[in-house]
Amino acid sequence: MKQKGLWLAILFLLALLPVIIGRISPYYNSVLILIGIYIILAVSLDLLVGFAGQISVGHAAFFAIGAYASGILTVKKEVPPLLALVSGLIVSGIVAWIIGRAVMRLKGYYLGMATLGLNAVVVTIITGLESITGGASGLLGIPPFSLFGVALPTHFHYYYFVWAVVVMVFASCLAMVKSSLGRTLIALHSDEEAASTMGIDCPKYKLHVFVVSSMYAGLAGSLFAHYMGFIAPSDFDIFTSVILLVMLFLGGVGTIYGPALGAIFLKLLPEVTYQFQEYELFSYGLILILVIIFMPRGLLGLFTKLWQRWRGPDVSAPSLPLKSVNGEAQAE
Amino acid sequence: MGSVYALIALSLVIVYNVSKVLCFAQGEFFVFGALTMIFLTGHGVPMPLGFPLSIILALLLGAVVERVLIKRVQTASIGTVITMTVAVSLFLRGAGLLIWGRESHTLPPFSSAKSLSVMGAFLPVQVLWVIGTTVLVLLVIWWFFERTLPGLAMRACAENRLAANLVGITVWKATLLAWAWGAALGALAGIVVSPLIFVQYVSGTMPMLKGFTAIAIGGLGTVGSVIAGFLLGIIEAFTVGLVSSKFADAVVFTILILVLLIRSSGRFGSSQNGGM
Repeated sequence: MKQKGLWLAILFLLALLPVIIGRISPYYNSVLILIGIYIILAVSLDLLVGFAGQISVGHAAFFAIGAYASGILTVKKEVPPLLALVSGLIVSGIVAWIIGRAVMRLKGYYLGMATLGLNAVVVTIITGLESITGGASGLLGIPPFSLFGVALPTHFHYYYFVWAVVVMVFASCLAMVKSSLGRTLIALHSDEEAASTMGIDCPKYKLHVFVVSSMYAGLAGSLFAHYMGFIAPSDFDIFTSVILLVMLFLGGVGTIYGPALGAIFLKLLPEVTYQFQEYELFSYGLILILVIIFMPRGLLGLFTKLWQRWRGPDVSAPSLPLKSVNGEAQAE
Repeated sequence: MGSVYALIALSLVIVYNVSKVLCFAQGEFFVFGALTMIFLTGHGVPMPLGFPLSIILALLLGAVVERVLIKRVQTASIGTVITMTVAVSLFLRGAGLLIWGRESHTLPPFSSAKSLSVMGAFLPVQVLWVIGTTVLVLLVIWWFFERTLPGLAMRACAENRLAANLVGITVWKATLLAWAWGAALGALAGIVVSPLIFVQYVSGTMPMLKGFTAIAIGGLGTVGSVIAGFLLGIIEAFTVGLVSSKFADAVVFTILILVLLIRSSGRFGSSQNGGM
């Protein structure tokens, strides 16, 4: 019951946020939209990396596929945005299924290298296909989102749509993690051989989670394309994938809540420190290094600890469902 | 470019074999070497002095990275280790941005800016320097790993860390040495090629990916990776010539993914025991 109250409070806050903040400056609404998009990306990556234990340094590839599928359909074919969004979702799912069948057989460093390569291939192809994608200079004139012919002209309106999607994705991820699928993934993560011995079809579940995670990334891509109105290959390069990993580890891998927290933190940081833009890259690196060494459970782990201390040791902490990836030597 | 890929592949191989960490920050050593050299020569340091100085700096950088950062995640899962090297890469890249700014830099050629005409194709003299240095370095490395005690100790660590430890080899020293060597090699590749290309703080990604491709093709042996590096350079040149320069990178990375897949399907039998 208490949890339900908390959720309602959060939803209420989300609904009010643009009204309050938008008063100060409409600019903040667009920041909030971007945060929402990155939450989808980080949370979906967490399904793959945190739960199934499959490292990916190329998540932005599917972000790109979703964005370009949506962008090209609306610009060149004048398809309604909602339909384009769904197509983006399906296209990234199909691509993920084709690639995942092969790539998800890889492990460890090989998987890291392959996903990195995948990201590079996608970006190079997009840059190369100038006639369709606009090449390096980008795809222009993507219309703002509309629902059944009703346009969502401003960021104020679009905010509600994006965050409705964010809440749905988040809730579905949580549900997935708590379901038997989630437990299967955890089993697969901690010891693949043992999991196979128990009769779990590991390749099937790995592919499954890869496709789902990529589809969410594609969804985020569509939302991003309609939000920006303009997309370029540089929005989706390896650096973006790396930033997603930073969000994941900063927030706490394998917790769903954590990566969302990481996304919020990392997207707000430049807003506060925009005058130190040159230091951005440097500080991202530093943050990631420090987090890995000193806070293997991320911000969420830190907050939980503080909460526990504050409430006294006898009260059980908000249950963190999982061990983190860190500090656990995989038997390999 | 084949020599450069060969050098980078070799540096990845050395680091991986001894420390069991595949470094996703190797491209940053490449950039570091090139930019340090450019910086030094730009400030009046003569080239023959700037060259060893940049290499030594890179050597130290590699050692520091291993000591301070990588050592701490040695026992963690592969995902964490990969993320750590990615973090190192971000950090070094950020540092590069702060030190050298966003501009692209290049180095004057070592000797002459002229091009030689070889069988109808024009070849900058610098290319000879690149190839010459690569061959020389390969010889030195061969000598080091075949004929000297530290080199043999490092190979022992690559074979079996525990056993190496038991016969009295200080494994941590060997690991440290491997990282220093790896960084120095990466830097060397950057230095010799810097007169031919423009180097910027983000330039490291592509050479590193090509290095990965080379070790994917050639395997984790020194000889194989070097040959694959050269091969890759040739493939790339042909793709640029025959297909299109726009898709050359895509072709190379598709090779990377394909080779990884062929390997994992058991022909080389490495997917069963996880990792490489």
